[in-house]
Amino acid sequence: MSDTAESPTEPQKEEPQKEEPPPPAEESATSEDKKKIDVLLKAVGDTPIMKTKKWAVERGRTVQSLSQFITRFLKLDATEQLFIYVNQSFAPSPDQDVGILFDCFGSDGKLVLHYCKSQAWG
Amino acid sequence: MTQVSTGSEAALHLSGNWCYWLFLGLIVCIESHSTEIIQEETFHHCCQLLLQQSEQLRDGWSWESVQGSQVGYLKKTVLRSVDINLSSVWDQVGSSSDSGSHSVCHQQQQEKSALVASYDADSIKEDITDDDGGFCAVSKDSRKVLQYEYHILYSCSYSTPVLYFRAFTLEGRSLSLEEVWSSVHPNFRIRLQNSPLNTITQQEHPLLGQPFFMLHPCKTEEFMRPVLQLAQDQNRPVNYVLTWLSVVGPLVGLDVPLMYFTRLLPSPALLSNPKPN
Repeated sequence: MSDTAESPTEPQKEEPQKEEPPPPAEESATSEDKKKIDVLLKAVGDTPIMKTKKWAVERGRTVQSLSQFITRFLKLDATEQLFIYVNQSFAPSPDQDVGILFDCFGSDGKLVLHYCKSQAWG
Repeated sequence: MTQVSTGSEAALHLSGNWCYWLFLGLIVCIESHSTEIIQEETFHHCCQLLLQQSEQLRDGWSWESVQGSQVGYLKKTVLRSVDINLSSVWDQVGSSSDSGSHSVCHQQQQEKSALVASYDADSIKEDITDDDGGFCAVSKDSRKVLQYEYHILYSCSYSTPVLYFRAFTLEGRSLSLEEVWSSVHPNFRIRLQNSPLNTITQQEHPLLGQPFFMLHPCKTEEFMRPVLQLAQDQNRPVNYVLTWLSVVGPLVGLDVPLMYFTRLLPSPALLSNPKPN
């Protein structure tokens, strides 16, 4: 799995090309859950683009957890909701493990997730 | 329709009747997705496709039609083991500390283990206890097995699908709006509650005339637009109703198995016919 050319220009810090979101406060995961998969986050519409698009994410991490991470990263407020789409065709369940999504929909060694923010329901 | 006839010729080479109808149906779905809304006919078609997949996956959807008319809806009944803990719903401001189980992580764990997306009674592992006399318990063990009934109808006013649902205890008592809220996925609970309009409201079922809860369809266009655009850009077929369901289902505890989206589809090459001029 090599980095692709579309990796963004990194800021002048000593950070790896791929970053890892901080681990969630969940119970201890199995060793399989701890294996990491590559996730590429793509913004849709006028949703802010994340400076770092490529992330190494533990397989056992849920979509919800990742969604919360993106929400905090983008500093969305309480009135905004994040939608995540897989395979450009559906929204994964919040409880879904990203590892399973990677197995089913990953290509070129990564799982591409599109995200979009919108106003909260109602 | 040249496009369809080309497709059907190709589809006949594919194994199985299912592929043929799926193929035809997806062409219909793609062509209708010039906007974020769908016509009723397309809704019907998408529902039939969903139904076929549901049968293959044993996911339990059925089509109910109103006697003597074309109008109908998709229906599914699910047994769920849910933690009906009213105090946790209103505990977001942290005023109550009489139970130690209100951390978000714990809620998530409970919700994660609570979903039983199957109509198989054998899979219910929880004991049904009636000593509560209701659901007054504040402890984390206040689990109830509930029967949820989900209906997918077509909304003429919004030109989108709309989700109606209701829930009963196994004794036949229907759930109140507060209880229904407490079974909403924690990920969405705060946001839905913060909405200026009521997102989950009690409505009369348009066809049955019985009280149901309804998930308001006003946001449908907004969350369908990005994914439809993405799909169109990639020439990727999308079942509008299924994709819509994947977004709204989790809000109300309805699981949409991943298998719906991993099923073998005809190769994209067959579907990316040049659009008619």
